[in-house]
Amino acid sequence: LFLLIKKQFPLNVSSVSKGNIFNEMQRLVNDGPESWLSAISVWKNLLELDAKKDQLSQRDANPLKRKVGENDVTNPKKLKTEPMQELQESRECQPEKQMEEEPVEQGDFLMNREKSQKAFQNEVVKAADDPSQKDLTFRVSCRCSGAIAKTFTAQEVGRVIGIALMKQFGWKADLRNPNLEIFIHLNDIYSVVGIPVFRVPLASRAYIKTAGLRSTIAWAMASLAEIKAGAFVFDPMCGLGTILLEAAKEWPDVYYVGADVSDSQLLGAYDNLKAAGLQDKIELLKVSVTELPLPSESVDVIISDIPFGKKFKLRKDIKNILQEMERVLHVGGTIVLLLNNDHHRRLQDCEQSGIPLNSKGSPTDEPGIEKCLSPREKTDLSDTVSSSSEASSQGGLDKMPPVGSLVPVECYQVSLGRTEAFICKYRKSHSLGL
Amino acid sequence: SINPMEFNPDFLACMIPEVEWALLLEAADTLHLVEVPKGLTEGYEHNEKFLREMHQVLLEVEVLEGTLKCSESRGLFPISWGIPNMPLSDEE
Repeated sequence: LFLLIKKQFPLNVSSVSKGNIFNEMQRLVNDGPESWLSAISVWKNLLELDAKKDQLSQRDANPLKRKVGENDVTNPKKLKTEPMQELQESRECQPEKQMEEEPVEQGDFLMNREKSQKAFQNEVVKAADDPSQKDLTFRVSCRCSGAIAKTFTAQEVGRVIGIALMKQFGWKADLRNPNLEIFIHLNDIYSVVGIPVFRVPLASRAYIKTAGLRSTIAWAMASLAEIKAGAFVFDPMCGLGTILLEAAKEWPDVYYVGADVSDSQLLGAYDNLKAAGLQDKIELLKVSVTELPLPSESVDVIISDIPFGKKFKLRKDIKNILQEMERVLHVGGTIVLLLNNDHHRRLQDCEQSGIPLNSKGSPTDEPGIEKCLSPREKTDLSDTVSSSSEASSQGGLDKMPPVGSLVPVECYQVSLGRTEAFICKYRKSHSLGL
Repeated sequence: SINPMEFNPDFLACMIPEVEWALLLEAADTLHLVEVPKGLTEGYEHNEKFLREMHQVLLEVEVLEGTLKCSESRGLFPISWGIPNMPLSDEE
C-alpha cells in the first residue's frame, strides 16, 4: 500500500548512454518537487492519524481490507472523484493544483483510493505546514524488473535517487532507521515512486496461525466470487482454509464449507479457524474433490486455489475436477479459481475459440480493456496484480467453454512473489454449450 | 457439543428452506436432541421458538466424534474433531 508520489510511463532504456537514463531518474525527483512535499505532508498526517488510534481503529480496519489486490469494479466511479476532493480538503496549506499533477494523467485511480481511504476516511486532517521537513531521514528501496533491470541494478538506481533527494530537499540518508522510506519500482509497464503506508505486509493477519495462500489474493478471489448473504460457499481444496477465512471475515452471513484430502491440512485449517474465532462459521470435510458428497446444483459459489504442484500435488486431472465442481454448482453460480500456467493453458486449450488472452506485460495501455493495478508490499515478495485481459464471454456463441456449461467471465494474472498465476472466474450458464 | 452462536434470523431464513426434514429428524433423534421442530409450519419465519430451535440444531450442535451414515449407500464415515472423513477411494 503506497502513498503515490509519481507514476509515469516506463523510462526509456533504449538510449545508449547510461548517463541519460540517470538524468531521467533524477528528474523523477526534481520535476515537480511539490508532489514530493505534498506526499510527505500526507504521510505526516498519516502518522498523526496513527497516534489517534482508538477512534480510528474501526475505520482503519476497513481500508486495510480494501486492498488493491483486485479491480473493484463496484466503486470505481465514486472513488475516482472522491479522492481528488478529499485530498484537496485536507491539505490546507498546499495549493490545490498539485493534486491534479499526480493522479490525473494515469487513469489509475486505485492508488488514490488507497491514499484517500487510509488518510481521509471521514476525517479532515489538519495539515500543519511543517518546517522540520528538512530534518527528515530517508532510505530508498528500489525494485527493477524488465528491460531496465538489464541496464541497472537496484542499488544504482537507489543511489541516484537518493543523491537527487539529498540535493533537492536536504534530507539525510539513514539506511538503518529512517523516518521515511521511499520506494521505487521500475519495470516495463510503469515507473512508480511512493512511500509505503504500512510497516507490515498487507497480507499479514493476526488471525492466521499458519498461512497458506497469501491473504490478499484470497480476499481478491472472494471478492470476485459475488458472495451474497445466505449463500453456500464451498472450497473443495481448502488446504489451510485461507480463502474461506478471508471470505468469512468479510461476508459473515454465509454458509461456508471447506474440504481437503489431507489430514494435516485439515488440522491446520481447524487451528486457523479456531484462532480466528470462525470455527462455528466454517465447516470442514475430508473428501476428494472429484467425489463430492453434495447433491447436484446445491452450491452457490466455489472458490479454490488449485494446487500448483510445487507444495502439493494435484492427483486428478484438472478437467475432472472442474466437472465435479460444475455438477454441484447452481446454475448462475460462480467459480473462482487460482490456477498456475499449466492448468490455465490446459483449460484454454479446451476452449475451441475465443478471445485470446493477452500475455502479460504488454507495454501499451489499452484503456478500458487493461486494468492496471499496482499494489505493493514492503517485503521481498512483491505482489503485483496486473490484469492482462478480460475474456468477455456473454453472448459469445462461438466460444466453447472448457467444461460443459461453465462460461469464463474474467481472468486476471497475478504474481505470487516468484511464481505467476491466474485468477479465473467462471459462471455456470443455463445451456450446456455443446 | 453445543456451541453457543449468535442468533441470526436472516441467515436462518436462507438455510431453513433447504433443510431435508426427514434426515434432520433422524439425525436429531440419534443425537438425542429434544427441542427440534418436526417440520415447517405456517408462518415459521415469525415463530421465535421455531427459529431458536432451528438455530440450535442447525448451527449450535456439533458432532465432534461420531459417524456419518449414508441413508442410501449405507456407507459409514467417521467424524473426528468435527471433521467427517469421506473420500471414497483411499487417498492418504
